[in-house]
Amino acid sequence: MQSKKSDSSLAEAFDATDLPSGAGTLSYSNLPPGRFRFGSLKANLPLPILFALLIPLSMFVESDVVGDYYRRIIILAGFNIILAVSLQLINGFSGQFSLGHAGFMAVGAYLAAYPAMNYSQHFADPFACLLFYAAVAIVFVVAGTVLFAAFLLIRWTRKLYQALPMILLIAMLIWAMFDFARASAVTVGNPPKYYIWWHGADSLVRLFAWVTTHGRDAAAHLSAALPTGMVEPLSFIVLVLGSGACAGAVGLVVGMPALRLRGDYLAIATLGFAEIIKIIIRNSEPLGGALGLVGIPKYTNFAWLYGAALVTIVVIWRIAYSPRGRAIMAVREDEIAAAAIGIDPTRQKVTAFITGAFFGGVAGAMFAMHEHSITPESFGMAKSIEVVVMVTLGGLGSISGAILAAIVLTILPEFLRNLSPTLADFRMVIYSALLIVMMLLRPQGLLGGREIWPWRRFRNPDPVPTEDRDDYQGSDETKPD
Amino acid sequence: MAESAHNLAPLLHVDHVSRHFGGLTAVTDFSLELHRRELVGLIGPNGAGKTTCFNLITGIYPPSSGHIRASNHRIDGLSPSAINRSGIARTFQNIRLFQNLSVLDNVLAGIRRRGQLGLPRTMLRTPFFLKQRHDARAEGMELLATLDLAAHADQLACNLPYGQQRRLEIARALATRPKVLLLDEPAAGMNPAEKERLMQLIAFIRDRFDLGILLIEHDMKLVMTICQRITVLDHGEVIACGAPAQIQSDPRVIEAYLGEPTD
Repeated sequence: MQSKKSDSSLAEAFDATDLPSGAGTLSYSNLPPGRFRFGSLKANLPLPILFALLIPLSMFVESDVVGDYYRRIIILAGFNIILAVSLQLINGFSGQFSLGHAGFMAVGAYLAAYPAMNYSQHFADPFACLLFYAAVAIVFVVAGTVLFAAFLLIRWTRKLYQALPMILLIAMLIWAMFDFARASAVTVGNPPKYYIWWHGADSLVRLFAWVTTHGRDAAAHLSAALPTGMVEPLSFIVLVLGSGACAGAVGLVVGMPALRLRGDYLAIATLGFAEIIKIIIRNSEPLGGALGLVGIPKYTNFAWLYGAALVTIVVIWRIAYSPRGRAIMAVREDEIAAAAIGIDPTRQKVTAFITGAFFGGVAGAMFAMHEHSITPESFGMAKSIEVVVMVTLGGLGSISGAILAAIVLTILPEFLRNLSPTLADFRMVIYSALLIVMMLLRPQGLLGGREIWPWRRFRNPDPVPTEDRDDYQGSDETKPD
Repeated sequence: MAESAHNLAPLLHVDHVSRHFGGLTAVTDFSLELHRRELVGLIGPNGAGKTTCFNLITGIYPPSSGHIRASNHRIDGLSPSAINRSGIARTFQNIRLFQNLSVLDNVLAGIRRRGQLGLPRTMLRTPFFLKQRHDARAEGMELLATLDLAAHADQLACNLPYGQQRRLEIARALATRPKVLLLDEPAAGMNPAEKERLMQLIAFIRDRFDLGILLIEHDMKLVMTICQRITVLDHGEVIACGAPAQIQSDPRVIEAYLGEPTD
């Protein structure tokens, strides 16, 4: 160190008492990973115990002690917990105000209900469900590649003339609209070859049908080989994860363009996306149109739902309070500064958005397989806003706050209904008034960006041990150089 | 020191860069070389385009023409985060800290370590993940100690006094292990004693971390004392470039700052 200092007369002039003299030497800990095996165990061991706790709890909830009415409230709270916690990652941690969570829920619900009704014969054929999602994935990748290549080509034309990409995009949109409109007017046979948009969409549908028909027998054989006890839970897991992944993919498609927007504009864009999903479903015949899908096999129960809620909480907690979460929060705090220290803002925002969308889809899938019937109206703007209210009431940037608010806001209307028969009619008025009072008294939300435990603002889950810290502040003499 | 450093490729080479916004030309034909362990000052009257130059180098907007190289790699046209990863870090004229994160988290956000951002490891909390997190935290504390901020590690960044916020911004930039550090008016709003101390700090970190530093500063006295070379900008053009003594006597510089002589 001394030699380094004497290199420059400027540094020599520098008064060493002003700054710690050992600074700049690389003395930070470099322990082998093996030393952290215990920490890893300590972090992960509570999880099996938590999941095991679900078994007695579920026995209690499913018993006659808890009536149907209270059971239903508990189940609804479970859906709301998953939705609120997943939206907390998007709205609270990445700071991207999304108003479209019901849209992801709808994607998850319909893409679980449809294969459950049409492919799997009431959970008898998990591999057929898997095949359905594989076909969706293939179609998604093919269409995505073609459209992305077209997008890159269009973007390249910026080099020829600046406004050309926008002109081309608008022209292509109009072309596609006319294509579909005219092609659907052709009732007999296929439209002529030059309807390339129609033919493109048609070939994707045929690709989907080809994959599902050709794989059907193999899937049935594989499913028949499974032990009988595993068939139903495995189907359920495949349906939930598959439709969650579809919602995540939709999150990617929506997020890539929408996350360029900020604040109110992003909120409007995501709101628009949720409405588009709703309208597509309402006009789609295979998905039941405005009447919805009826006769979805029921499988979700307390244990599955709260198991999923637990997984959601653990995953989102671990993302939020990790270096990845720090990067996400850094982008929320200041996008330009985050980019200046090597964090890719788009990447972090899209990661948060996709993860949130995935769990939104999971909640939707579980909802569909609990309700027996779903309609597009269950996933309207009201639902989106309900979830946003939970997140805001719980406090932006607080996972435990979101859980708390989800539970409180599920119980509150029911509680008001039971309070007295006269109040029952006014329960939604009281509910709204309570929300207003709450926001006036605690605008930062119930927990205001903290967690119930540990009660510190944006704390480090395990801070640097104090003895290390004393070392840093103290003198450098004791350290090997 | 200076002689041996000049034989290598410059850490930062800005080559005839121009930028216009519509009809307005913000920077014309700006060239600059920065070598290892060199402190170069960038001065000029208000609105001369100094910060625009920084924004061009760090990719906030791409240059309209010209090239920028970092250690012989072209970096113009890359995204700001990619430019930072190629070894260029900066601070901002108006402090841009992550206000609601702790001081330590501000620095940790800049530290890049393998196995830190991957989602599977994040979710499973593997021993490797925990080790990397522990080491990153130790590195962050080390850096905070270097800049005399360790005692405030757990405070929110927005609660720090102004001078410490400036230093935290430098610490955060250093956390990315840059080869080149761009400081945009680091002494703005400081009293003379604080300025003096900051300038010592800048010289100190240059030697400790082996950096090339490009510095925008309005205080002539300080720039003249610590910079080896100075580039003067006026109306987006380089009007002078050279050693401090040369700059001080340059008639064009005097004219830019004081106006034309009237006699």
